[in-house]
Amino acid sequence: MYRKFLRLTKSLTVSFEKLVNQLTTQEHNPLYFHGALPLYVFWFLIFSGILLWMYYIPTLDRAWSSVNYISALPTPGDPINLASGIPYGAVVRGIHRWGAAAMMIVTLLHMFRVYFTDRHRSWRWLPWVTGVGLLVFVLFVGLTGYLLVWDARAYYIVVATQHFLNAVPVVGSSLSSFLVGGEGITDYTLTRFLFFHVGGAVGIFFLVWMHFIRLKEPVVTPSRATNFLLVGFILLAAGTLPAINITHELLAKYGNDPRIAAQAAYVASDAPAQIGTLVDTIRYDAWYMFPFWLIQNLGVGWTWVILGGSTLLLCVAPFYPKDRRANIAEVIEAKCTGCTFCSLDCPFEAITMVERAPGSKFKQIAVVQAARCSECGICVGACPFQAIELPELHSKTLEADLLALVKKGA
Amino acid sequence: MSEPKRTIIGFVCERSLPLERMLGPDKALLDDPDTKVVIVPCSGMVKPTLMEAALTAGADATFVCGCAIGDCHYRTGNLMIRERLQGKRNPKLRKTTDRRKVGMFFVTMKDKSAFLEALAEFKASLDVKPLPEEE
Repeated sequence: MYRKFLRLTKSLTVSFEKLVNQLTTQEHNPLYFHGALPLYVFWFLIFSGILLWMYYIPTLDRAWSSVNYISALPTPGDPINLASGIPYGAVVRGIHRWGAAAMMIVTLLHMFRVYFTDRHRSWRWLPWVTGVGLLVFVLFVGLTGYLLVWDARAYYIVVATQHFLNAVPVVGSSLSSFLVGGEGITDYTLTRFLFFHVGGAVGIFFLVWMHFIRLKEPVVTPSRATNFLLVGFILLAAGTLPAINITHELLAKYGNDPRIAAQAAYVASDAPAQIGTLVDTIRYDAWYMFPFWLIQNLGVGWTWVILGGSTLLLCVAPFYPKDRRANIAEVIEAKCTGCTFCSLDCPFEAITMVERAPGSKFKQIAVVQAARCSECGICVGACPFQAIELPELHSKTLEADLLALVKKGA
Repeated sequence: MSEPKRTIIGFVCERSLPLERMLGPDKALLDDPDTKVVIVPCSGMVKPTLMEAALTAGADATFVCGCAIGDCHYRTGNLMIRERLQGKRNPKLRKTTDRRKVGMFFVTMKDKSAFLEALAEFKASLDVKPLPEEE
């Protein structure tokens, strides 16, 4: 039943990609680079984030105005003269803001593509489980990014998160004071959030390393043509998204000047946070804010159940259903010369070269780690000495089959 | 369909073409009885010596068919066999092997008609270039 479902999703995915292939050809189909896309967007976030960091001041009284100084919204009555902002600051902040949304979108695309094509199970459990970790980290880094703006919404998120953490038995209140760096919200709180945001991004790099550790030559960048197209798309989006987001209210607020209204529509912070004054409801972002929507509508308990439960389900997904695993590659000791071809070609790093005992005819021998073997036979194709074989599909059988076929045809 | 006059041996990845609907009982393609198919779990399992063995045994041509480039179920199998046949990765074809008789196709499991077209083209290319006789 479940296997049938996976076969169906695979068939649908391939049909959809066939359509894209007709537009882009196989070599440049962006869906064949689904794993490289999140990393690609991540570079945009890193570089725009470094630019934003240069002007960010993590204190309660300056955080909001420093962020808005970058994007230079000429808000009437603001204590700092924001009109003299940073050239293209709004574009950089816009790329960081909308890049975060793109990050979640391409990460989910990657996850569903891998799941729908049944490429998450068994020997691939480590990339999948670290991938779940990466998803959690992306969510965490995205949310802490919303806190740094330190507007009314950020304050709401902090209060709701404290509420959420307080529900944990025994350690709940410690967790919640760990979050804000003390009993109440102080200047230390924002320094801590800045660390969560930047440190979390570094944590993503660490998890990406874990994600790749069992993959031979992971695809880390889309094809060159796709790269150029994506840069163009991002610049185009940076230009058009604000235009789409201009509302009548924004236009009226900024004296009917569409240029300034467009700048405001890029990122639009709420009013500065005021500690002790909680807004009734916040603007929900489609990709990162859903935990707070859950907290508000279902309560803290159900949010814990839903978030924890779905993470747990994702983590156990690769272990069910179990395959038979009868065709794991075997090295024929007498024939293996230690040439390393199979270990170089194994796509899942399942073959390691080990020193033979002193006095042996050959220096090294290939050793298969059964749990990592995908039974694909790529090592059989790589071996010039018939020294590694799949037990249920010996290359001698293949050769006999093909000779019989040639004879029948002639 | 004309009388079978050629023998073409294809090594086909079981995940690339919908083989269960394409093969007759004698392992020949229903749409092209000249072509006999050896099924492999991944195109990367094919080694050049196996294709050379088919040619030496008397096949007129041989080809390998794998998943679309970028979409190998085992990540790199189709890239591996492509590089081996292009001479960029070990083990390679022998220098004396006639490369015109060795084809490769990379298609998804929904590309049956595209594959048959490419195969017909491959067969036609055998026609226009008469292969040199052995001494």
